[in-house]
Amino acid sequence: MQQSGIYAVASKDIVFESFDGEAVVLDLATGKYFGFSDSGSRIWEALSSGVPASELIDATTAVGTVGAGEIDSFIGQLLEFGLLVPASGAPALLSSELLTQLAQAREPLKVDLHDDLADLIVVDPIHDVEEPLGWPAVKQAT
Amino acid sequence: MGAPRQQITLESLPDYARHVLAVAENRAASYPVTSKVKLPRLELTVHLGPGALADAIGNAFVPARAGEAEAGACGIFVTHAGIEGIPAPATWGNQLYIPHAFATRLAEAGLRGSYFHDLDFWQFYDPERHVGAQLMMSADGFPPWEPGAPLRAFLHWEYAARGMRLTHAGTLGLNGKGVLLGGSGGAGKSGTVVAGLLNGLDSVGDDYVLIDLNEGVTAYPLFATLKQDPRGFARLGLGQRLKSYDPLNWQGKHQFRVDDIAARPIPASLDIVALMVPHISGNLESSIVPVSRKDAMIALAPSGISQMPGERESGFRFFSQLTSLLPCYRLSLGTRPAEIAATVSDFLARGDG
Repeated sequence: MQQSGIYAVASKDIVFESFDGEAVVLDLATGKYFGFSDSGSRIWEALSSGVPASELIDATTAVGTVGAGEIDSFIGQLLEFGLLVPASGAPALLSSELLTQLAQAREPLKVDLHDDLADLIVVDPIHDVEEPLGWPAVKQAT
Repeated sequence: MGAPRQQITLESLPDYARHVLAVAENRAASYPVTSKVKLPRLELTVHLGPGALADAIGNAFVPARAGEAEAGACGIFVTHAGIEGIPAPATWGNQLYIPHAFATRLAEAGLRGSYFHDLDFWQFYDPERHVGAQLMMSADGFPPWEPGAPLRAFLHWEYAARGMRLTHAGTLGLNGKGVLLGGSGGAGKSGTVVAGLLNGLDSVGDDYVLIDLNEGVTAYPLFATLKQDPRGFARLGLGQRLKSYDPLNWQGKHQFRVDDIAARPIPASLDIVALMVPHISGNLESSIVPVSRKDAMIALAPSGISQMPGERESGFRFFSQLTSLLPCYRLSLGTRPAEIAATVSDFLARGDG
């Protein structure tokens, strides 16, 4: 099923920066990092600024860069990671610059989760210290 | 059996922080030791009792050189329930402890803080007044990692308020220029720093260095501590090099100082010209190849942010800016320390950064 809605960044705890066109996102509340491929970065940029998924799918299908199924699945991942939430409001337009960048992207649509150190973030009051990690790391609440 | 201890929640946290700061300051006359340490742009004054922490404060820091401008001062009171008039530390209540929520709640009250459950070890800082308090159950009621980089949380908060940052990274330098070695534990940072020091390079520190982005990227030394596990210690020939060394630390590592093995005094600073992500390759020869800024950022930022309480977003922005200012490389580490050092040395001598 195609995603057709509008999305927004899930909370103020989701912060991101772009490095030479590749996005890195940090969820401050969980300590999880997300590294995006170049095409993923463009799709993230579009979705997080309010471009409707349906418009993205139409545009990317037309230029033949990313398929509708891939975008569907990618959006599902971003929702599952808690980076985006469905939103209401006026849709944003997909800029021609972003579309050009998307057409020039060389990597497949991808977001990698880096959560090796996220265990510092949520801690149950009763826990054990993971001393071998070297610093005040504590086991994650279950 | 003593009276039940106060249980802290997010709601009561700011009041408790102010209470701890006030109690610690009010007992200023009770601390027999006052240590002053001159650090880059900061004079740190610590009030505490004799013992392992006082020794660590005397040994672990790299004092700033005379003549370096002091732009401020901060005072830390290290106290515990064994001192008359100091109450036992409170404990965290039944509420789930979420460090980001903890830090956010304190930040809303203009404060900083951290808590280590197992020891009911509290640290609070008021960045406006530049005053901090560390409250422990007893004189030795601190986590085992504290003596290696004492009071680092307070320095983190004070320097963050000035737009600088304690950064979890190693450094190597030559003639005032240097590289920053970023990456999580086990990536090879410490072994690379030691290999460089043993072969004529400089360093302003391993584990934690102070970074300023005001004019380019400048790294300053804070802590002189180096660590190596027994395998690395043997591989690097440190047993023969060091005149004496202490028993293994709490991590099962040898702990020693930069100036125990450096050919020259620790530089006052290094102008950082590149960010390198070390990687143990298993190849005989080392190599340096470009890596994307995204990958360099993901190697550098997580440990630097997660090992420091609070200031997560400012840390993310800071490390983003740092990464954007520098060319980024993957340093694939060969198997021979002298060859690793020569590879970094050649890079610095070429001025590729």
